[in-house]
Amino acid sequence: MLKIAAYHSPTTLAEAATLLAEEGRTVIAGGTDLLVNPRYMVGVREVVDIRKLGLDYIREENGELYIGAGATMRTVALHPKIQALAGGILARGAAVCGSPNIRNMATVAGNVASALPSADTPPSLLALDAQAVLVGIQGERVVPLNSFFVGPGKSVRERELIRELRIPLANLDRLRGGFYKIGRTAEDISLVNAATTLIIEDGIITAARLVMGAVAPIPLRTVRAEEALTGQPPTEETFRRAAGIVREEVRPISDHRASADYRRRMSGVAAVRALRQAAGLAPHGEEWHHA
Amino acid sequence: MPEIEVKLKVNGRAVTWRVLPGETLLEALHAHHLRGAKLICGTGDCCGCGVILNGRSINSCCMLAAQADGADLLTIEGLAQDGKLHPIQEAFAEEGAAQCGYCTPGFIMRTYAFLQEHPHPTEDEIQAALAGNICRCTGYVKPVAAVLRAAEMMQA
Repeated sequence: MLKIAAYHSPTTLAEAATLLAEEGRTVIAGGTDLLVNPRYMVGVREVVDIRKLGLDYIREENGELYIGAGATMRTVALHPKIQALAGGILARGAAVCGSPNIRNMATVAGNVASALPSADTPPSLLALDAQAVLVGIQGERVVPLNSFFVGPGKSVRERELIRELRIPLANLDRLRGGFYKIGRTAEDISLVNAATTLIIEDGIITAARLVMGAVAPIPLRTVRAEEALTGQPPTEETFRRAAGIVREEVRPISDHRASADYRRRMSGVAAVRALRQAAGLAPHGEEWHHA
Repeated sequence: MPEIEVKLKVNGRAVTWRVLPGETLLEALHAHHLRGAKLICGTGDCCGCGVILNGRSINSCCMLAAQADGADLLTIEGLAQDGKLHPIQEAFAEEGAAQCGYCTPGFIMRTYAFLQEHPHPTEDEIQAALAGNICRCTGYVKPVAAVLRAAEMMQA
């Protein structure tokens, strides 16, 4: 029995925002993080369930893909549009998050809201330049994910809920991607993960994102490595140079899963493997078959 | 503490439960004498508390009972019909796919959801489908054989 004094199940966003304005309340959706990790329950007395707000949509609007806060890992992993987007890196991240039972409940927006450095989907979302739409009593604001994460379990989200995630589709046809997760077991959280997107024109990388998970207090965009990739041909040599920078940029910790040194070394491995996929030098996984 | 009234369908029967805000679905099941789903890890890592919620396999330990309002729930107790075991249960028994048996309801409910979607599974698909179900007796070979057998039996 969890120490929860009241359960609220609002049916409108306005009602949800009003409920969340009060201290001691937090958002629940899939519940797979909130209910099992005591860290999220510190100071929480009441929960506000957002599952009846009609946010389980995935749709295209204004040249962007909108992923509602109710969309589960499974739904996202199996969505044809998301599988086709930049080598399906977001679908693949969602497909390797936890076990099938977890993916049937956990939401991608919840994965973002929890703001764990080891989360499986934020690296892909960051590589896709995603934004989060936050709703609170003051109204709505759109925050690029690149400035959303603050530290382990901490983000710029105040007394707000994530209504949806937005992914720009402008470069849909040109965007190539790669994703690589190193974990202990099939359902374990990442020891290290990497997501990348590249635009390659006339044999030269003209735009790059390279994002590392579980190796810093936040999902980490390795901007210096991205700069080193840009303007270069998508070759093994270029990727190895970028991986060297990644190893310098990461700030991993040691814990019961892996040592900092191991994570640092593996961050280079994961980065190169993700980059090879994006360049067509290695096959894409299609993890969603098991989602 | 205020009780919450939830109306749901459990194993085909409409029920109204009075639950507490902090009560998990698993705790509510146990309180209503449905003790097949097991509390093992309590952190969503082992799938021993697996049940079918609106056709999907989920962990009842990391969901609030209050969130089940309006749901259609199937538990291990609802699988047998008219005193006859479900083919998946038969297959697990015949293959000896249980050692201490504590994780078995979770394995069976996960298998139930999986076979609905993949009636002709390969061994690889079964292994991936059961990857989240943890058996600390470490009997992972026979459950796979049992799922293959169950798939055959359900075709017949």
